[in-house]
Amino acid sequence: MPSSDPSSGWVMNIQNFSVNDGDGIRTTIFLAGCAMRCPWCANPEGGSLRNPMTKLMSVDEVVSQVLRQLPFLRVSGGGVTFSGGEPTFQTGFLRALAGPLYDAGVGLAIETCGTFSYLDVADVLAKMDQIFMDFKHPDPAAHLRWTGRPLDLVLENLRHVRESGADYVVRIPVIAGVNADSETITRMLDILADACPSAKLEFLPYHKLGFAKYEALGKPTPAGFETPADADLAEYQKMAVQRGLEPISYR
Amino acid sequence: MLTERVEAIRRNYVEAKPCISYQRALIWTQSHQRTEGQPIAIRRAQAFYDCCDLLPVNIFEGELIVGAIGEFRKCGILTPEYSWLWVDREMDHFDTRPQDPYVMTAEQRAFVREHIFPYWKGQSLEEAFLARVPAETAKIVVDTGIVDNDSKWRQAVGEVTPDYQDVLFAKGFGGVAAEARAKLAALGDTDADSLDKADFYRSVILAAEGIVRFANRYADEAEKLAAAEADPVRREELRAIAQNCRNVPANPPKTFHEALQFVWFTQLGGILSENPLALNPGRFDQYMAPYYEADIQAGRLNEAQAQELVDCLWLKLSEWVWTISANTADYFAGYNQFQNLTVGGKTREGLDATNAVTYLALKATEETRTHQPGLSVRVHQDCPPEFLGAVTELVSKGTGFPAIHNDAVGYQMLLNAGYEPQDAKDWNNCGCVVPHFRKTGEWTAAVNVNFGSALEYALNEGRSLLTGELMGLPERAASNFATFDEVKEAFFRQFANLCRHSITATLVAQKLHQELVPRPFLSATIEECLASGRDLSQGGAKYNVGPVITGIGLAVVANSLAAIRKLVFDDRTTTLAELCAALRADWDGFEELRQSALVAPKYGNDDDYVDTLAIEIANWYYREIHQYRDVFGNPFNTAFMGISNYIPMGRVLGATPCGRRGGDPSSEGVSPYVGSDCSTPLAAMRSAAKVNQEIHSGGTLLNLRLNHELVATKRGQANLGAMIQTFFALGAFHVQFNTISSQVLRQAQAHPEQYRDLLVRVAGYSTQFVNLSRSMQDAIIARTEHAEF
Repeated sequence: MPSSDPSSGWVMNIQNFSVNDGDGIRTTIFLAGCAMRCPWCANPEGGSLRNPMTKLMSVDEVVSQVLRQLPFLRVSGGGVTFSGGEPTFQTGFLRALAGPLYDAGVGLAIETCGTFSYLDVADVLAKMDQIFMDFKHPDPAAHLRWTGRPLDLVLENLRHVRESGADYVVRIPVIAGVNADSETITRMLDILADACPSAKLEFLPYHKLGFAKYEALGKPTPAGFETPADADLAEYQKMAVQRGLEPISYR
Repeated sequence: MLTERVEAIRRNYVEAKPCISYQRALIWTQSHQRTEGQPIAIRRAQAFYDCCDLLPVNIFEGELIVGAIGEFRKCGILTPEYSWLWVDREMDHFDTRPQDPYVMTAEQRAFVREHIFPYWKGQSLEEAFLARVPAETAKIVVDTGIVDNDSKWRQAVGEVTPDYQDVLFAKGFGGVAAEARAKLAALGDTDADSLDKADFYRSVILAAEGIVRFANRYADEAEKLAAAEADPVRREELRAIAQNCRNVPANPPKTFHEALQFVWFTQLGGILSENPLALNPGRFDQYMAPYYEADIQAGRLNEAQAQELVDCLWLKLSEWVWTISANTADYFAGYNQFQNLTVGGKTREGLDATNAVTYLALKATEETRTHQPGLSVRVHQDCPPEFLGAVTELVSKGTGFPAIHNDAVGYQMLLNAGYEPQDAKDWNNCGCVVPHFRKTGEWTAAVNVNFGSALEYALNEGRSLLTGELMGLPERAASNFATFDEVKEAFFRQFANLCRHSITATLVAQKLHQELVPRPFLSATIEECLASGRDLSQGGAKYNVGPVITGIGLAVVANSLAAIRKLVFDDRTTTLAELCAALRADWDGFEELRQSALVAPKYGNDDDYVDTLAIEIANWYYREIHQYRDVFGNPFNTAFMGISNYIPMGRVLGATPCGRRGGDPSSEGVSPYVGSDCSTPLAAMRSAAKVNQEIHSGGTLLNLRLNHELVATKRGQANLGAMIQTFFALGAFHVQFNTISSQVLRQAQAHPEQYRDLLVRVAGYSTQFVNLSRSMQDAIIARTEHAEF
């Protein structure tokens, strides 16, 4: 392991008692920084390392906070989920955190938007029990316009993850105004059916719970995005099943 | 699915208003008029017999389990021998009082004032206590909200778990009477001890014969109704009821149905004899299982029929109301009689105890949604997953039941109180969360102590902030305290004084109970009382455990001391003089200081800065109380329970350094102060688990609120089960969950008529939300909702 891994990094939040980010009771570590610029993001404070809502914390500080939760994590079959922002953005800090937690026997999961350079993070991903990877839009031009990063990179990383044999879940944020229409979802599901047949898949309906954070950062709140109707979501689940994919939910 | 019959009974339970019946009180009074000059034990046993003989028999429509304490379906009785003064004072407003109203007509009130109260003037327990309690103690103990024990001098003790296993189901009340007769015959009459025992055995015989007589009158009535019944199905049911009532409770039960009817007759006897709180069915699944199994094997019963019968018992347990003063109702809100029924856990031999009846009980609570019995479960680390699953599923229904207890810590608490290991393993809950056993005499809820008052007197020269009166020990002005240790010293000094008065009040009450109100019926259900010839009140039980003194406001005081240490001594952002001025002004004009106080470390967030203070206070409290001895020479015990004590105790408390406003509710049990556990329920659990729970043999209570979505799915329930097991692994004793959204509760406030069956946990038990006063309802809504997205 490179000894140049930082002993501290930028943290948005350490959220205990997370029950929607993997199995059991988990502690979610939200790490700041992200290469994408999705306008609907519910964690806008993750867009930059240093802002009023992030804090520089040492590896020891974070790890000891997490270990306080160990009894609850163990008995429930839970663990830690790395999220953010994009947890691989501060690659060294992520590695420095994953190491001791892995050694302590804590279950690990990661929620990523798939914009990493695979070779840089392969060793960290190998420590994860579960990898949640976002897939936001099937059209390369639209993907670039919405997220600021190329679709190809995401799909290539999805391939790496699948080939590594890891337990992974593809996560589709379903947003009316972006991708929540039959045609777009069909294209996404077709891509997945081809690239990772019978993969697990989680639909995440858009929500506005992060609005207060935009206000706290002095930024305008997102406009033009809505939560899809339950009937539409049900339809998308059916379409996924038809293509041999496996919709799951941690709700 | 409830049967139609049970649904009909349930609807009546939900909709009927509780009415007061004076029939029992009238018979009790007339009986006492006839027995002047006789030993008190005999007089009371005779009065009980006369009730059983003369109280009108009422079999209500569709009932399968019968027996009523009065002419109304939802009924409370009067017990003037304990107290009538408060009834006289309050009954004109019974139907309009904010907490637990009762219906009583003008005619009833006139009758009671003319024919019942006059006899008891100067005779009641209440009057004897008020005459006898030392003035200095009376000042702080009588209706002040500072040290409160009125449930032990305006009421009977209650707090009994009848021994079905070794006494009642083994012998029947007929066998108990026979045994008492044999003991009586064997006594000489030339030693003083034998004279007392003779009186006791005669009183037991009378009580046992009384309840048998009562049952036979119900058998007569059932036969009469059967003869006149046109519907053949109902006719058969009435005949079966008659047969049941002929056999039990005179004899050991032969069937599941008889056993249930026996349990209800035992409750009835207890209610008629003393209007008790915490008359516990106990380990129901343990003593009922053999009858269930036998009936199933023999084809006499199927599971659905058994379920219906259990549902019927739940409704009977819920249809009577505990008649209490407005003051007591503030402390024990919600018409709750605390009949605790405990399932699960381990057997006496240490094996897993769950059985088919365990699940009948859980299902009955889930489906009938009645506020009684107080369903408790014992969970051990290796309990069957389906049991833990059934428990968490019941939690998800939002009734507030069950109260969930750590099997091993309950065992440990009883070992600490001197129980033999096998008996300790066989524990059930009494009333609220107190670990208990069926061969025990104990005052499990003897006194409530307002911790906040001790701090108030320490900071305010011994005076109440709200009244200015000197209620504590005289103390120098707080501005003279140079160090945090001096603040703590003053606090513990005032605290010791409050503890002293709680002991005095209890000793006076204990002596009076021995003198004036022996308990022959309930003593007849306790094994060693029969063997030793001594009433419960005289220490006849195998185990006599010291009275439990309950501490109210642990979180408020821990938070307040933490705020003082932080603001005055660590950060030096204020002085004690300024802080005390702020408290005197109830924070008006000190808004900024109040905000600083509010953000100082709060108990319930897994923060050692304040949690260590909570531990220190709780440990000190245990040592202080435990040095005192009761009338039997047993050490007093401590508890951190709740019920609704924290509301009246908060009302008499001025503003506190934690940022709380004067008059606001205090804190309950080992729960965080409402709204201050802003982290997660896991943090609240961690804080509570630090408090060395197993030394407080009166029990420790933690109430948590969970958003319904968290436990609505199987997966959510599995997480909840993991949380509970982890909490228990950390050494905690008890937890219970409210899982109703505040939205639903606000709707219930606005439209109570549509939410009459909505149950909510109110600390230590569950009750109908719409029966609570507005301030109680608001307090529940304010309790922290832990929702994560």
